[in-house]
Amino acid sequence: MKRRDFLKLGGATAFAALFGGCDNLPKKLVPFVIPPENYTLGESLWYASVCRQCPAGCGIVVRVSEGRAKKIEGNPLHPVNSGKLCARGQAGLQALYHPERLGRPLKLSGPRGSGKFTETSWEDALSILMTGLKKIRAEAPGSLLMLAEPMRGHRNLVVHRFLRAFGAPAPVAWDPFGHDALLAANEDVFGIRDIPEYDIANARYLLSFSGDFLETWLSPVHYGRAYGRMRQERPTVRGKFVHFGPRLSMTAANADVFLPIAPGTEGFAALGIAHVMVREKLTPSPAASSLWTAGLRQMTPETVGEKTGLRPSDIEAVAREFAGNQPGLAIAGDGAAGCTNGTFHFSAAALLNVLAGNLGKPGGLSFPDRRSAFPRAGADASTLAPLPESGFASVRNTLEKMRGGAFQVALLSGETNPAFTLPAGLKFPESLLSVPLVVSFSSFLDETSSLSDLVLPVPTYLEEWGDDIAPAGHSGDAVGLLQPVIEPFRDARPMPDILIAAAKELGGPVAAALPWKNFRECLEQGYTGMGVNLENARREGGIFSRKGSLSRTAKRAGNPPLPKAIEASYEGDAARYPLVLHVYPSIALSDGRGANLSWLQEMPDPISTAVWRNWVEVHPKTAESLGIADGDGVVVTSPFGSMEAFAVLHPAVAKGTAAMPLGQGHTRYGRNAAGRGGNPFSLLPVKDTAGAKSHARQSTRVSIAKARIKGKLVRTVNVEGQWKYENIL
Amino acid sequence: MQRPSPQAVIAASLFAFALIAASVASFAETPQPVAYSHRIHVTDNKIDCRFCHSSANKSASARIPPVEKCMSCHRVIATDRPEIKKIAQYWREKKPIYWNRVTELPDYVYFPHMRMVNAGVPCLTCHPGMDRADGAVQKREFTMGWCMDCHKKRGVSIDCWTCHI
Repeated sequence: MKRRDFLKLGGATAFAALFGGCDNLPKKLVPFVIPPENYTLGESLWYASVCRQCPAGCGIVVRVSEGRAKKIEGNPLHPVNSGKLCARGQAGLQALYHPERLGRPLKLSGPRGSGKFTETSWEDALSILMTGLKKIRAEAPGSLLMLAEPMRGHRNLVVHRFLRAFGAPAPVAWDPFGHDALLAANEDVFGIRDIPEYDIANARYLLSFSGDFLETWLSPVHYGRAYGRMRQERPTVRGKFVHFGPRLSMTAANADVFLPIAPGTEGFAALGIAHVMVREKLTPSPAASSLWTAGLRQMTPETVGEKTGLRPSDIEAVAREFAGNQPGLAIAGDGAAGCTNGTFHFSAAALLNVLAGNLGKPGGLSFPDRRSAFPRAGADASTLAPLPESGFASVRNTLEKMRGGAFQVALLSGETNPAFTLPAGLKFPESLLSVPLVVSFSSFLDETSSLSDLVLPVPTYLEEWGDDIAPAGHSGDAVGLLQPVIEPFRDARPMPDILIAAAKELGGPVAAALPWKNFRECLEQGYTGMGVNLENARREGGIFSRKGSLSRTAKRAGNPPLPKAIEASYEGDAARYPLVLHVYPSIALSDGRGANLSWLQEMPDPISTAVWRNWVEVHPKTAESLGIADGDGVVVTSPFGSMEAFAVLHPAVAKGTAAMPLGQGHTRYGRNAAGRGGNPFSLLPVKDTAGAKSHARQSTRVSIAKARIKGKLVRTVNVEGQWKYENIL
Repeated sequence: MQRPSPQAVIAASLFAFALIAASVASFAETPQPVAYSHRIHVTDNKIDCRFCHSSANKSASARIPPVEKCMSCHRVIATDRPEIKKIAQYWREKKPIYWNRVTELPDYVYFPHMRMVNAGVPCLTCHPGMDRADGAVQKREFTMGWCMDCHKKRGVSIDCWTCHI
C-alpha cells in the first residue's frame, strides 16, 4: 500500500467514524403485519374506480405503490371522461390523506351544536345508534329520517331497502345543483323526464345559454372533451360556439362569440332566435306554424333585444348561422337553472333543438335509457339509477315536519352539507337541533355533522366498494364500479356496511330486506345476478359494453308547446338593493365540499385568478357609481343576510349585477376552509323555481358597501401580462 | 523525500485503528428484537431465501417478510419456543417487528435486487455466510471496487449511471 493510499483510507475512515457516529436516525426495518394484497416494494399498481368528488361519475385509475395511493388519473376506458380528469378529481388524494379526517367515532361532549366531541369506541357508538333505532322501531318507525346527497347504485338500494323495511319515509336527498329545471323542461318539450346525452363532439354549431359545461355543469370533463373534439377532430369543420350569459365564465371565455345578456333573460334570447328561424322559414320542423300562432310571433328580435340587452342584428345573425349549420345544438345550464324562471330557459333551449330537428341524431341530443343497465333489477332499477334532482321541495317539507317534532332519529350522510348550502330562511340548524338523536356518517366535521350527537367516520371513496351510473356520457348500459384502492388506514366503516349490520341486529323484516353479509357481498350478488364477470369489470373500472342504441323515443318531439315566457323575479327593493345577485358554483370548490382541500383552495379561478378568498365581481361602471375600487373590501347585503368579500372589477359582468362564486365562507370545516370570507348561500331567499320546485338561488337583489375587512385578495400573476379593465373598455 | 511529521504518523495510526474498529463493528452480529436464525431456516430446513424475501426478483428491495409470513408457518411449527412465542405476541397485538438494519448501501447508490437475482447472481455472492448465521450479518464490505470487479468479470455495464442514478 502506498503512503498516499494509506492516508486517503485513513481519512475516509475517520470521516465515517466522526460523522457516522453522529447519525442518530433510527435504522429500523419495519415490515407490515399484514401486507396489502399484491404488495411489492417500489412497484406501482393501477386500480380502476369511480370519482366521487362531484356527481358526474368519471372513471379513475389510481396509482398505488407500497400500499398507498399516489396519483389519480382518468380511466381511458370509461365512457364519461375517456382518460381525462379535472382538478377536483385529482385532489381526491388530499381528502384521503387529510390530517383532519375522522379516524374514530365521535360522541357529543358539550351542548348540541357546540361542536365539542370526544372520541369513543365503535362498540359504544353503535350501541347509541342501535338504542335509538330500537326505541322507535316498535312505536314510531316513521320518525326515522335519512338526509343524504343524491345517491346512486347499490348504495342507494341499501338505504332505500333499509328505510322501507324499517317503516321510515324514503331518504331525503339534497344537492344544491340538482337538475330539476332541465328535467321539467324535457318533460314539457320532449315528454321524457330525464337528462339527455348532448352530442357536442359532432355538432357544427353550439349555442349555450349560461350553460357552463366546461366548468361545473352536469359532467364537465365529458363535455369539455367533447368540446375539444367538436373544434379539432374533423379535418374540414371547426364547430362554432356562441355563449349567452350574464357573466364571463371560463366557458364563455372559450366561446367564439360571447354575447352578454341581462341575468334571467336566457329563455327570451332563445325564443328570439326561434322567432327568426320560423319567420325566415329556416326550419323544417312541422312544429313551426303552431308555435308561431301560439305566441312566437311576439318574440321579435326588437322585443327580445330590449329584455336581454342584445342587439336585434346579433339575434338575427346567430339565428341564421344556427339554422344554416346543422347539426346545431342548444344547451342551457347552471347559470340559468337558478332563476325563478329557470324551467322557461331550459324549455326555450330545448325548443331550439326541436326546431333544428336535433333529436336522436349525431350532433344532437338523445335520451339514453340508463335503467337498461339493470335488466333484472325490476322495481329496484329506479333506485339504482335515480334522476338527478335537487330535492329542494322535499327538504323544505321535511324541515317543517322536523320542527313539528315528527322525527326522533335523523341519519345524515354523504358529501351534502345542508347547514351550509340551504338558505338561512329554512332554519336548518334549529330544525335539526329539535331532533332528539342525530347521527352523522361523515369523514370530516363540517357545519352539518357538527350539529349531531354522534359522528361515525366513513371511509373516503378511495377505500370503499360501490357502483355508479353517470348522468352523462354513455348510451345507457355503462356502469362504473368502485373498489377500495388501498386498505383503509383510519378506523372508518362504510355507511352501507353499518346499515347492513344494524339491520341484522334489528332482525325481522329489516334483516330480511338486507340479507347480505356486507356491502361488498350485496354488490357481488347484484352484478353476478345480471351475468357480469365481476373480476373483468373491476379490472376495467366497470361494465362499458355498448349494445347499439338504447335511446328512448320522445313522445312529443314533433309538436312541443311554446314555453310560457316568464320574467325572472327578484326579492328585495330595487332602491335599497340596487344589484342583482348572480351566484355560481365555484369550479374548484363546487358548493363548498372542496373547501377543505388546499390544492383546490390554491387553484386560481380561471377568470379572476383569485385564490384562497371569496370575492364579488362587479362591472367597473357599477363599481364607480358605488365608489368601489378593484380589491376593496366590501360587505354584500341582501334582505336575508350579509357577508364580507373583496371586490373584483370585471368588464364582462352585466351592469347592475353582482356575481359571486359559491363554496367559501365555512365556519366548521377545518383550517383550510376557515376565514375565507362570507358564505354567499347565506344571502339567498327561500324561493322555488317555477315549475321545477328547485331552489331559485338567482332571485335576490343585493347592495354593496365598502368596508374594512381583514386580509387582502390574492391573485396569481396573469400570464398574459397584467390587464387593466380601463384598456379593454 | 521529506519525512512525515510525528503528528501525521500519530493521526494515520489513529485512522488505521478506527478503520479496524469500524470493520470489526460492522461484521459483528446485530442484536434483534427476535433472535431469528438464518441457519435453522436456510441450512437446516432448506427454505429458499426468496420464500421470505419475496420481492428480490421483482423490486429494488428484497423485502423484509411481514409478520403474517412468519405466522403462516409458526401457527403450527415450534409454537412452544420462546422466540416463536414473541412473534405470536406481535401477531396478537397486530404490531410490526422493528428489526435492526444490518445491510445498508449509501443513498447515492441505486442497487436493484431484481436485476441481480434475475441475472442469476446467487444471494450468497453478496451475502456470504448468511445461510449459516444465527441472526443477520454483513460479512462483505460493499465497496465500489468490489462491485466493479464483479461487473467487469460478468461483462455487464460499468457505466457510472448504472448504479449512481
